[in-house]
Amino acid sequence: MKAEAQAGLGELLRQGVLWRGSSPGQTQTAVVSSGFTALDEQIGGGWPEGALTEILSRQGLGFSLLLPLLAHLSRRQQWLAWVNPPHVPYAPALEARRIDTARVLLVRARQGEQGLWAAEQALRSGNCALVMLWAERISVARIRRLQLAAEEAGCMAVLFLPLQHRQQASVAALRLQITPAGNGLQAQVLKRRAGWGGRSLYIPCCG
Amino acid sequence: MLWLGFYFPQLPLDVFAADGEAVPLAVTRRDGGRDVIDRCNSLAREGGICAGMPLPGALALLPGLQVRQRDRNRERQAMEALAGWAWQYSSRISFDPLLMLLEAGASLKLFGGFSALLEQMRRDQPCMDCLQHWALAPSPMAASLLARARPGACIHDRGRLVEQLADIPLQNLTRNSQARELMRGIGLSSIGDCLGLPRPELARRAGPELMLLLDRLLGRTPDPRPLWRPPEVFSQRLLLLSEISHASALLFPARRLVASLCGFLRGRGGAVQHLQWRFLHRDAEPTRMEQGLLRPSREAEHILELFRQSLERLELPGAVVEMELQVADWQVLQEEAGDLFPCGQGARDEKFLERLRARLGNEAVRGIQVQADHRPERAWRYCKPMETTEAGGRISAWHARQPVWLLPGPQLLSLRHGRPWHEGELQLREFSQRMESGWWDGNDVQRDYYRASNPAGRQLWIYRERRSGNWFLQGFFD
Repeated sequence: MKAEAQAGLGELLRQGVLWRGSSPGQTQTAVVSSGFTALDEQIGGGWPEGALTEILSRQGLGFSLLLPLLAHLSRRQQWLAWVNPPHVPYAPALEARRIDTARVLLVRARQGEQGLWAAEQALRSGNCALVMLWAERISVARIRRLQLAAEEAGCMAVLFLPLQHRQQASVAALRLQITPAGNGLQAQVLKRRAGWGGRSLYIPCCG
Repeated sequence: MLWLGFYFPQLPLDVFAADGEAVPLAVTRRDGGRDVIDRCNSLAREGGICAGMPLPGALALLPGLQVRQRDRNRERQAMEALAGWAWQYSSRISFDPLLMLLEAGASLKLFGGFSALLEQMRRDQPCMDCLQHWALAPSPMAASLLARARPGACIHDRGRLVEQLADIPLQNLTRNSQARELMRGIGLSSIGDCLGLPRPELARRAGPELMLLLDRLLGRTPDPRPLWRPPEVFSQRLLLLSEISHASALLFPARRLVASLCGFLRGRGGAVQHLQWRFLHRDAEPTRMEQGLLRPSREAEHILELFRQSLERLELPGAVVEMELQVADWQVLQEEAGDLFPCGQGARDEKFLERLRARLGNEAVRGIQVQADHRPERAWRYCKPMETTEAGGRISAWHARQPVWLLPGPQLLSLRHGRPWHEGELQLREFSQRMESGWWDGNDVQRDYYRASNPAGRQLWIYRERRSGNWFLQGFFD
């Protein structure tokens, strides 16, 4: 009985669903390094694969945190899907950061239902290495659907939201709040797997 | 030679509706100055309608009866659509009224016997149960006659024709009323009666015309027929029995047109990439809808699925009374097994993109490319996803200092207290670069670029046009 409980506990610990408050560690679920050592340490090793990450900010910031990830994922023969980005991604600047623009798939959909539909399609298509969605508002249920789609398809999803959503509960595996700071960004970990959130750190990234 | 005849008794009804069985429907013809029922569907028959009934009587009996005049033009078009499909089985196709005849001798060898051929055709048929009435015979006229009178007759051998045809009434052989009258006069009612008479005797009494018919029927004389030539373009219309005002309801009738198109394409070994739909209204200009596929296809289900998603974007100014499908350019499909049933990464990719484009529109799904130009607004362009990058512009180290977000075009900034303003007064933080470019094409620019920040801490990429002194916002740092 005790051994069984131990085994069950071990499994939960391994998945990062349960973690020891004393020693926030790394989850053993798949992650991809963010390319920023300080950030990796705070979020359990890197961006969680097959899961949803939420990036909240007042001004739609935080995209540049993903630049090393995009460069890394460019090597996979899969799309990097951008659903409703706030501006035009500037191709030469992306190439200069070793992001292959041939992998970039821009999807413009109406805000709301259509954008979510497109993101979910992209996640479930099995053809995307990463799906990013910029949304103005989204319901808790919809976030759950995105997380589920990411999980089932084993695809990485990033959702950019306005800061007001901070108060809303979320099933996302990772939540970051971003504020501008000098020539970089200040990131606060609101939620992560296998560890406490609340840490805030400066990341010298700039796109 | 062996001829396979297919008879389509429902065709005059079918041309009017995809859901021909949902309402009682009859088509009429003019007969002696009045309209009489030519044929009707099963719902109308249940209501007591039968062929030959005068129209006013039929309407009195069944007030809800939908009536259309027989439209031979549409029937001909529908027959041609069927022929387009059948072209894959035989290149010698001929028509009789509501009948299609295929020279099947060569196909029998190819498909390994008649039953294999027929089974293949039925599995592949462009519309439900439309190949019910068929007959195989050594002469086209016999195939035609048997398909109508003895569906399912299968005669390979001329010797067995006589016995099969014997009891078919003579009126089925010819529409010539004079000849029919004559036959009746001498007491002949069936084909067997004629064939039982000594030939010189019959020739003397019945005249050369009937003799020729009989000789052709039995395959004793050649029966030269104009052969059908397949058209180069596919175009088919479908008149809707009831008007459709919800775009989503167009899917059902579309099924018929797409099935017919796919038949046409299979017949020609072709595939399509662009389809043109037209939806005709009673009092408005027709609505057009273009449907594009990423790769040529002739899979009906695939085309229909994309059509269904395109419908979500379709706005109709009024109810649709008729719809038309046109394909002006089709191409020969590379006959690889994998082309028809695509699988694997590439094909999955295409289906995914097609799904997005069908629902969101072609313009909504794009890629981007670098263009060789120093001016940021011209240093990139939208492209089709998957479009292989032509030798684009060269990437330099200073591109890495440019921001990832660009505005679609430079945006003039207002000045307050002599300083550029965007959601607050902008602070210049860093000189970025001087750009002098484009003097060769008349759009020359002389700009000084800066990184600036607004009070909220947002970093902007702005420039001063050196000649005018105006400030412009070109992008955002993130």
